[in-house]
Amino acid sequence: MRIGIINNGLGNVGSVLSAIRFYKYNVSLVEKSRDIKESDVLVLAGVGNFKTAVSKIKEYKLWDLIDEEVTENKKPVLGICLGMQLFANKSYEDGETDGFGWISGEIVKIKDKSVRIPHIGWNEVIGSDRHIFNNLRYNSFYYMHSYHFLPEDREVIIAITKYGDLEIVAAVKSSNIVGVQFHPEKSQADGLRLYRNILEGFK
Amino acid sequence: MISKRIIPVFLLKGERLVKGTNFTDFIDVGDPISQGMIYDAQGAEEIMIVDIEASSNDRLIDTSIVNSMITKCRLPIGVGGGVKNLEDARKCFAAGGDKIVLNSSAIQNPSLIRELANEFGSQSVLVSIDVKKSEWGEYDVYIFSGTKKIDQSFEKVIDTIISNDAGEIILTSIDQEGTLAGFDIDLYRKARELIPVPLIASGGAGCYDDIVKVLHETDVDACAIGKMLFLRDYDIVRIKSYLWGEKIPIRDS
Repeated sequence: MRIGIINNGLGNVGSVLSAIRFYKYNVSLVEKSRDIKESDVLVLAGVGNFKTAVSKIKEYKLWDLIDEEVTENKKPVLGICLGMQLFANKSYEDGETDGFGWISGEIVKIKDKSVRIPHIGWNEVIGSDRHIFNNLRYNSFYYMHSYHFLPEDREVIIAITKYGDLEIVAAVKSSNIVGVQFHPEKSQADGLRLYRNILEGFK
Repeated sequence: MISKRIIPVFLLKGERLVKGTNFTDFIDVGDPISQGMIYDAQGAEEIMIVDIEASSNDRLIDTSIVNSMITKCRLPIGVGGGVKNLEDARKCFAAGGDKIVLNSSAIQNPSLIRELANEFGSQSVLVSIDVKKSEWGEYDVYIFSGTKKIDQSFEKVIDTIISNDAGEIILTSIDQEGTLAGFDIDLYRKARELIPVPLIASGGAGCYDDIVKVLHETDVDACAIGKMLFLRDYDIVRIKSYLWGEKIPIRDS
């Protein structure tokens, strides 16, 4: 299984690469269309602003290619934080920007008087997918975000995190598409295990 | 429930970590990568690494150190020292930093905060403020590692930083820093009223009860620790066990 992390110039891909490599997966950063096509699994990572991310991926001329691999060729894809947010129809961060629309829903700013924004720090993840949230020790993962995913179909939600009075969508899954809002690569031993669980599910 | 964070702060001078008292008298406390691995393994919530000479020497922190750290440590890393523009920040993120720590440059040029927040998201922009109590009991803000006093009031500096979309603030008391004498509780109570984003208390942690006190008596989100870890007989595992016993929401690790 060849895993390709899309090298989209948005930082943070090095940490994801290093974390996935821990269990000796065949993983590399990919940016050429041939390498993306030859990957068996794609990973979308990155930090920052939704709009910047979309324009970077389009500037690198990878948008349509990634979309085709995921929707037509049903290639497994893992989205991390902003990478997961790209699954949505659109985001309201810094105006309105269309995402891939693989999972219907919108990315909106966290709005709640009971909590501080951004949501930064370690928070408990309550997962319902037995395979992905299997054999974890503490179920606490690192978050850093101000926007969150509101999927139309609640069935895609496989984990949530309580933040004040809110329930933040922590992870989503829809056939070949898996995304997490938190950062497993920054979440010590449980983060490594979670990556392994997700990737084993793609085999 | 979100847990309180314990954040070892790494002060970098060249390639080595140092620790001082009130921003002077620095001594060597080890190698950043090996120390990073130790605190990661002990369950620190994140690490902040700042090159304390970078701004004064008009250069950027050596990002290759960050790049080595991310291959060995699996926790968030805040990176600071001499970040003056978008390009510097991009280098820090490309090396693997998760957040940028701005100090002198952001206080002199607050629009830099907004510029970085627009590009990388406000959650990735942490502003560090160093203060010293004046003889009239007011907090004065300093830049360049505590060497230059700013004319604006503490309140005005915070207001400007917040309105430019900083995602998080670390507030250091120069008077307490490196003294092991406890946090300046009044400072964080006062600051909490002004700061809606996550706030990190820094300066003075010397024993378990200092950390308990600042987390119980003020509503800060995280505690930075330095000398207590590097030069005294404490470790993150026992600190967190103690906090757990004092009913502070802390993460098992």
